[in-house]
Amino acid sequence: MNRTTEKTYALPIGPVHVALEEPMYYKIELDGEIVRGVELTAGHVHRGMEALALRRNLFQNIVLTERVCSLCSNSHPYTYCMSVENLADIAVPPRAQCLRVVAEEIKRISSHLFNVGVMAHVIGYNSLFMHMMQQREIMQDVKETLYGNRMNLSANCIGGVTHDLEAEAFAFLLDGLARLEPEVARALDIYRTDRMVVARTRSVGVLSREDALALAVVGPVARGSGLATDIRRDAPYGAYVGLDVDVVVEQGGDVQSRALVRLREIQASIDLLRACVRAMPAGPTLAVLPEIPAGQAIARSEAPRGELIYYLRTDGSQTPNRLKWRVPSYMNWDALGIMLRNAKVSDIPLIVNSIDPCISCTER
Amino acid sequence: MTTSASPDLLVRGLAALCAEDGHQATENRSGNLFHWFRLAGPGDLLDAAKRLAAHGARLCTITAYDPVREHGHPRHELAYHFDCQGAMFTVTIELDEADLRVPSISGLFRNADWNEREFREMYGIEVQGLTNSKRLFLDEKLDAGIMDRVLPVSVLMNGASSRDLWERLLALRAKAEEKA
Repeated sequence: MNRTTEKTYALPIGPVHVALEEPMYYKIELDGEIVRGVELTAGHVHRGMEALALRRNLFQNIVLTERVCSLCSNSHPYTYCMSVENLADIAVPPRAQCLRVVAEEIKRISSHLFNVGVMAHVIGYNSLFMHMMQQREIMQDVKETLYGNRMNLSANCIGGVTHDLEAEAFAFLLDGLARLEPEVARALDIYRTDRMVVARTRSVGVLSREDALALAVVGPVARGSGLATDIRRDAPYGAYVGLDVDVVVEQGGDVQSRALVRLREIQASIDLLRACVRAMPAGPTLAVLPEIPAGQAIARSEAPRGELIYYLRTDGSQTPNRLKWRVPSYMNWDALGIMLRNAKVSDIPLIVNSIDPCISCTER
Repeated sequence: MTTSASPDLLVRGLAALCAEDGHQATENRSGNLFHWFRLAGPGDLLDAAKRLAAHGARLCTITAYDPVREHGHPRHELAYHFDCQGAMFTVTIELDEADLRVPSISGLFRNADWNEREFREMYGIEVQGLTNSKRLFLDEKLDAGIMDRVLPVSVLMNGASSRDLWERLLALRAKAEEKA
């Protein structure tokens, strides 16, 4: 540690550290064991993906965008495809729209289970961590059975989906959800009332509603601070237009509130999946594609970490003139400065984990 | 994140800052609205940002790009994307290549900071009034404006890594032989 002022010390954490899943350098200003300030240095996994997107044609970019990150790997190609569809006014068949929601909500459940599971690990409650990861295996099996892969589903293509799902696949999904549902209800009770979890997470890493609004944070970070914002409801897209999306909100603004939002969102996703399977329309799963014109378009979706935006510019050729995406984590990093202020050193990994940061997404 | 002010007022106010035919509105098949504004000049950016802030708009992101991508002749435009009551508002400005500067809007939208720092380092566009000019992603040793360059990977590498490695190995072997 280096002395920075008469009272404070600088504690470097990262870029590679046992508490971090991905590389980020945190320069923490400490007064004893209390955090007084934090400075982030990013760029360790910057891959220049937006530049790569300009060297690939519109179809190749589906594969590229699926590899921005793994936990929300369905949201990227989904939203990218929607940007092309908005640009060329492509009518995606209703069955394909419903199948896209199925893939998206399955991924959301897996992503949230991973985050709340890791949170248990960070506070030293390893039996809960292992239990949550075991429940997550139900969804990993669902992904593997329905899509042939546990992370990158390759479900989306421009104008629809890559493959249809049979009745047998839906039955497998519903069976998995039936097994997961009571486990999530039990977990919600533990995260809400267990003395050890409450002692470590309540009133820790607080982001007030006012700060959340000023920083324009998104996703469970915003909803954990009382902001009822969700693109699936505020600017609905695809099959979400006809679905009743429950926007889950908690008021505490702390680590516990963000975890509770994610757990309750798993319950909401289970409801959405059941509604999708019940109302699954028959018909084609792919639109007939027109020529992609020159122009610009935007598409938005609610990824597991919040609002995801794709901005596409084309010039009539097969490669984009510009493809820009803004991931939810990008909006949430700055909030760490407020959440970590006056926190204890031991709570730093917990607070960082509570925004469910994705560095691969942020840096692209 | 809604306000009582009508977005129609905002649309009219922003359209007044645009060049002729500088405003378009589109709607996608899900019924979402998209407003596209091309401002008469970069000098109108702060005016537009003030109007958007007054209507409770949320800055979503900022995109810098070269609209033509003609090798050796970079051009720059900036598209500012906002959400206002569920509709997307994109405000575009064309920059003067002789004076690649733009005012910061971080005083009005706190989350503009990261976006402005990113396009500053990727496209070499100066941001006036930026409070934190520390690089966000790229190492300080790299030139600014790296996204303006069109370099195929094959040209970029040019066998350099393998040649460098070979030369280093030869030097190490020579050193070892000298010691022996």
